[in-house]
Amino acid sequence: MDLLPQLLIAGVVIGSIYALAALGFVLIYKSSRVINFAHGQIIATGAFIAFALTQSGMNFWLAGLLAMVATFLLGMLIERVFLRRMVGEPIISVIMVTIGLSSVIEGLIHLTPYGAGSFSFTTPAVLAGDGLSVLGTQLSRTQIAGVLAALGLLAGFTYFFNKSTLGITMRAVADDQMAAMSVGTSVERVFALAWAAAGLSAAAAGVILGLMSGLTLGGLAGIGLKVFPVVILGGLDSVVGAIVGGMLIGVLENLSAGYLDGLVPGGGTREVFPFIILIAVLLLRPYGLFGTKEIERV
Amino acid sequence: MPASRFTQTGNYRVRYQQDQTIFATYAEQASLIVGVLLLLALPLLIPKTMLRDVDMIMIFAVAVLGLNVTTGYTGLINIGQAAFMGVGAYATALAATRLNLPFFLAIPLGGLAGALVGTFVGLPSLRLKYLYLAVATLAFQIIFEWTVGHSPLLAQGGAISMPTVQIFGIRDTFLNHNMFWYYIILPVLVAMALLWRNVLRTRHGRSMIAVRDNDRAAAAMGINPGTAKLTAFMIGSFYAGIAGGLFAYFQKAVVIEDYGLHTSVQLLAMAIVGGLGSLPGSFLGPIFIVALDRFMGSASSWLGEKDIFPQGIDVATAMRPLAFGLAIMLFLMFEPRGLANWWRLVRMYFKKWPYKF
Repeated sequence: MDLLPQLLIAGVVIGSIYALAALGFVLIYKSSRVINFAHGQIIATGAFIAFALTQSGMNFWLAGLLAMVATFLLGMLIERVFLRRMVGEPIISVIMVTIGLSSVIEGLIHLTPYGAGSFSFTTPAVLAGDGLSVLGTQLSRTQIAGVLAALGLLAGFTYFFNKSTLGITMRAVADDQMAAMSVGTSVERVFALAWAAAGLSAAAAGVILGLMSGLTLGGLAGIGLKVFPVVILGGLDSVVGAIVGGMLIGVLENLSAGYLDGLVPGGGTREVFPFIILIAVLLLRPYGLFGTKEIERV
Repeated sequence: MPASRFTQTGNYRVRYQQDQTIFATYAEQASLIVGVLLLLALPLLIPKTMLRDVDMIMIFAVAVLGLNVTTGYTGLINIGQAAFMGVGAYATALAATRLNLPFFLAIPLGGLAGALVGTFVGLPSLRLKYLYLAVATLAFQIIFEWTVGHSPLLAQGGAISMPTVQIFGIRDTFLNHNMFWYYIILPVLVAMALLWRNVLRTRHGRSMIAVRDNDRAAAAMGINPGTAKLTAFMIGSFYAGIAGGLFAYFQKAVVIEDYGLHTSVQLLAMAIVGGLGSLPGSFLGPIFIVALDRFMGSASSWLGEKDIFPQGIDVATAMRPLAFGLAIMLFLMFEPRGLANWWRLVRMYFKKWPYKF
């Protein structure tokens, strides 16, 4: 058993989920300059909706799809009700609204039976068989499917942004809202769409994560914090950055867990290492690997 | 000076010196004295069970005053105020248990430790603005929690119990604990509030406000934005450190859970609900949030008895974050200037009575 390839592969598996979570975050930031602290809670909402549906006897795939539709609508609703009023307000207000939102969603989840416990999906038959071995590491079918699904969704979103009219419209709004408005683009519609798409990708991330490592409110919502190192490393407004950053953070935190845990009393460097990277990136290259250099030095 | 020093009928100031006075009329001065007297008598006026919450509110008010210096007056978003509180609390705990310092030395030491760490954490603010800084302080919050959780010296986040305190021959016992600390926290809070008021009147305070409003313009006028930001972080985290030291003694133990991300968010919420960058807001915010939390606690236990929700659902853990989040969102959407604005409106009404304006 070699440690290094094992760590690398485990890092890619978790990294693809980080990438998917970061994608939703970047979508919102890119179009509307809103930092969404509630993203982890939206991920949890999607995962629990899917779980509740499978509990009532629904097919896993259908449940996942319905959960994605539900968070799509939820994202749109959040934008319409709360964020639309915050246009032009100071950044601290916008940040605090999403923090308040995360608290509200968490409270609502606690009102359902899923708030406190820990649950797991019944693995669908297709994913239950033997996995395959990569570089001497056993990967379960669930993990492979998770990575493939995440990569597929990421590729789909990238294609959408680069080729479809709607995607190009969203990029136009992200680039210059005034100019986009003056050529007749509905900026409001684009904001709503960005939130909806973020909700969609959040549910996907939640379902994949739930399938791989079980469902707990803390675990799912915690991804919302992991998103910050990812997007800062990749660049806040870059879709490619979200993907690369997600993979990098996933691999790096696994490497730190593998090689540094022994040196620290109590171990658990996995939780803190991404944030140390975050601070280093902020100091050396605040716009990240692929972000726009928009920071003014004071 | 106003034509009459008893009632204010307009602005009659003709010199800068007059503009710098804190009290325009005797009425304002008298209301402050009455207010302080009322505060001194407060433990006798309210039920004993409420005194604990009053103490908590006052400790949070100290931390929120500090947060108002960084976030309210200098515009630096700080999602790590609880971590600065924690730095102060742990420094106080170490000073009290290892060095055996008395509390009136240990708490200021905690404040200094907070200020030192705060200035260091504020260094990224020289290069970063807005949400990048918010993320940097968030990262510090998480790194702080992890570091404490892995330090054998700090009991790995477990409880470090604080020594019992004695002053003027009165001992802090189980029976008079809340009362005892009330009379220690109150003078500290008043002193910190006066300090806040006066720091803002100095060169440093005014340059902080200038940096918040427009840092480039401030730089053009000869203010060094970097110095102003670091000063803000230093003062803000000094307040947090003092609050942490008081909290450590008040809770009788230092536990990492008290200084987590949730507390940071709560402090920010207090600052916003109270009104960012206002002195009355720094008191009204903590009062509102603590009262809301207590109210939701009792309301949800009442709801829990009513069989509205299915079995197995802890209504209290659901209703508290729900109400807390809703309060933040509603305030930001409908009253971004916070409770301090209502306070201002009430004051204006009485000042102008019987006229409307």
